[in-house]
Amino acid sequence: MPSGPLLERQFLEKLERLTIHWQKSFNGLVGGHNTSRFAGGGQEFLDHRHFHHGDDLRAVNWRAYLRLEKLFLKMFQVEPRVPVRMLFDTSESMNSEGGFKFHYARKLAAALCYVGLVRLDTIKLQPFSSRLGEGIQCGGGRHRFSPVTEYLNELQAKGRTDFHEVVRQFISTHPQRGLLIIVSDFLDDSDCERPLQYLADFGHELLLAQVWSEEDRTPPWTGDLDLVDAETETRLRLQFDESARGQYTRAFDAYAGGLQQIAVRNGGRYVGISTAMPIEDVIFGALVRSRVIA
Amino acid sequence: MYFLNLSLAQFLALFGAISVTMVLLYLLGRSRRKQVVATLRFWTVAEQPPVAHKRKRIQQPLSLILQLISLLLLLLAIAQLRLGMPLATPRDHVLILDTSAWMSAASGNRTLMDEAREKALAYVRTVPASDHVMLVLADALTTPATAFESNRSKLEQAIAQSTPGATALNLDQALAFARQEQALGSGRPGEIVYVGPGRITAESRLTAAPLPKNLRVLETADSTDNCGLRKIGVRRSAADPEVWDIYASVRNYSAVPKVLTLALRFGGAPAGARRFAVPPGSEREIAFAWRTRAGGLLEANLIPHDRFSADDHAVLDLPPLPSLNLTVYSNEPDLLGPTVTAIPRVHATFRRVEEYRADAANGLVILDRFRPPQPPKGDAIWIDPPPGASPIPVRARLEAVPFDHWCADNALCAGLRTRDLRLASTYVFESAPDDVKIGQVQQGPVIVARAGKNKTVVFGFHPGLSDLRYELATPLLFGNILRWMAPELFRRSAVAAGSAGTVTMQLDPDTRLEDVRVLQQDGASVPFTTRGRALRFFSGTPGTVRVLAAERETVYSLTLPELWDSKWDVPAGTRRGLPAFRETAALSRDLWQVLALLGGLGLLMEWLLFGRAEGRARRLPAAIPRRTGVRKAS
Repeated sequence: MPSGPLLERQFLEKLERLTIHWQKSFNGLVGGHNTSRFAGGGQEFLDHRHFHHGDDLRAVNWRAYLRLEKLFLKMFQVEPRVPVRMLFDTSESMNSEGGFKFHYARKLAAALCYVGLVRLDTIKLQPFSSRLGEGIQCGGGRHRFSPVTEYLNELQAKGRTDFHEVVRQFISTHPQRGLLIIVSDFLDDSDCERPLQYLADFGHELLLAQVWSEEDRTPPWTGDLDLVDAETETRLRLQFDESARGQYTRAFDAYAGGLQQIAVRNGGRYVGISTAMPIEDVIFGALVRSRVIA
Repeated sequence: MYFLNLSLAQFLALFGAISVTMVLLYLLGRSRRKQVVATLRFWTVAEQPPVAHKRKRIQQPLSLILQLISLLLLLLAIAQLRLGMPLATPRDHVLILDTSAWMSAASGNRTLMDEAREKALAYVRTVPASDHVMLVLADALTTPATAFESNRSKLEQAIAQSTPGATALNLDQALAFARQEQALGSGRPGEIVYVGPGRITAESRLTAAPLPKNLRVLETADSTDNCGLRKIGVRRSAADPEVWDIYASVRNYSAVPKVLTLALRFGGAPAGARRFAVPPGSEREIAFAWRTRAGGLLEANLIPHDRFSADDHAVLDLPPLPSLNLTVYSNEPDLLGPTVTAIPRVHATFRRVEEYRADAANGLVILDRFRPPQPPKGDAIWIDPPPGASPIPVRARLEAVPFDHWCADNALCAGLRTRDLRLASTYVFESAPDDVKIGQVQQGPVIVARAGKNKTVVFGFHPGLSDLRYELATPLLFGNILRWMAPELFRRSAVAAGSAGTVTMQLDPDTRLEDVRVLQQDGASVPFTTRGRALRFFSGTPGTVRVLAAERETVYSLTLPELWDSKWDVPAGTRRGLPAFRETAALSRDLWQVLALLGGLGLLMEWLLFGRAEGRARRLPAAIPRRTGVRKAS
């Protein structure tokens, strides 16, 4: 993999004008740049309600009391500080193209973290393969970006993917709902659609970033192949030609379509990303168009 | 049909090796490939799983056959497959034309060169039109006059323009050159033809080295009725420098004894003649002595003249005896007279101080204790100059000081010895770093030499008025000063007339190699080598070459032709006379261009039909991601 910084300085400067957006409202603390319909101690007026004993007298609408002789309490919009959570796939299947796919996914995750940090969002990055790994939480501005890159650089792709187990752990350890970004190739031999549905049903807003290398989608080999699954080491011998390649690609596209359907159906978003595309084009093209960031 | 570059066995071996390698690579390329993939789910869940039920050994036999055929065609092109018979291939002949000095000898009404040209032209006209001929002119040097040429008019023109040189034939070198050219040529080696009388030098090793099998000799008949000057040496007599000792070496090349007369003329006037007999095949040395101080041309003529007149006459340019004009301005000429008049070739003139003129002096000037109104315009020796007149600043005036020492590391002080010398009165000079401090007292130098455009020596005291006048060092010191100021005065000259070619001379034992220079008449340097005390240089053309080695000058007048020492006995098996070639070359035709083109086309077709599709599949497609790489959620 290329040495040097994960993301170039010029690219980081371009990222500074972007913001992570989500579509759902989440109950949480004040902060961030996303509006919420939950009432709280914000500055934007939201509604009135009847005064109850113990309420803060500073929030009473005294003008209404003078006119109606009833105590009404002013309610304000809460600016949530719900952390943006990111699940980062570190399974063996991410090592395609001699590890380039994994490196590419690292750069994508780093770029998203930087966008969040610049806008004072709190980012929680958690790696996963068969289990949820120890993550890193960061926030407080762009100067906290360096621990994130160091953490990402130290990650290694190994182990099997088990979305069932990962989702179970995630739901049990993170009861607070919020935006959940999953950076993965979603190449789990067992079904990963159901666990994703669980997450959506739990109330998380899903942003599925499926990263694939070209050999994942269009294998370049022909002839007699002795295939070995990178995660399970299962072997498969077959003969591969142009027509088989077409069938393979169609199957891959159908799988990606299924993932997209899950995301859209639950109010989330899906972005399919080929490693052949420059990371800058992905950020300012696909992700901006899908309104993940703006 | 035959191969020009390879034999059939070599061709088959090469093609077999390439074919086997290719099939192995092909099978290896088509063998089952182990590949690690991210997942197997899409390989197996496709609607029609592409699992092979029967594995073929060779998947694309047409591709393999096309590749093999293309490589066969390319290999045939490399082997230079030709139509026709091998003997019909054009050949490369080398025609060695003898242009040694002996070729200007008369043979009847013509010269040997005319006869050799005629035979060379006859050979060129005999050679088939498709064959190539290279004309090489051979004397001491081998010079190609043309490349391998099939244009007969160019060859005939080059033969017609060939003229005899000044050196003897080096046939070994010419034959080696011809062999090398034939080996490097692209065609089939033809004949190496020597045209000439075969007169070679003693250094020739023709008998030791094997001769080329394809050698042909076109001999020209010559007569050895010749006597000539081999060399002339002229040097000044050791006893009397005004006398030239002249040594001439005369050789009789014929088979009968000869009585000859060697006549010398100097400056157009007869200078001597000697009649002598020379036995057949031997040399005779004749010595003369000629007294003259002047320079001029010395001509040597051998009478009677014969068929080869170039070596009957030699001219040498004798240099005049060098001399130096010395003018002594002194009111007491007796003090310096004995010292300066004792040096040979120095013409001393004594004048009074009042007669001094700065521009009148021609040569060296001695200024004895006076201040000249203008400094001299040439080299000068200042003796005890008045204060303020010295060309070298005076530091102090000392009385009754002991002389300390002479300098040790300069030619100016060579051989100077004195003991207990005291100077009654002397100046001590303020010398510059580059000055030579010839003599010193404890307080500083008292005799200083300064080089430059004009060389200057300043004495702080008068040697004729000090105790130095009784010392042997005084004349020796003046001798050293004159040797430093006018080195040509002491140079020993020798003149030699010889032949062009390699010249070897012995250097004096005390000669430093960095002082040796070998110059042509125009002053250009001639490359030379030294081995031990022997110096060797080569001059391919007649002319004058000067060798300067310290105080010795040798002028070589290389105007005599270099002649042969013996006749080459052509071995019995060697082909002689004009050959009879068959004109069959037209039947032979090159095919390699067509074969190379077909081979290239075959490989291109194979790539278009099979290789391109596979290559496209192996490369990561750049167009696919733009079309389907990104899927938007909405």
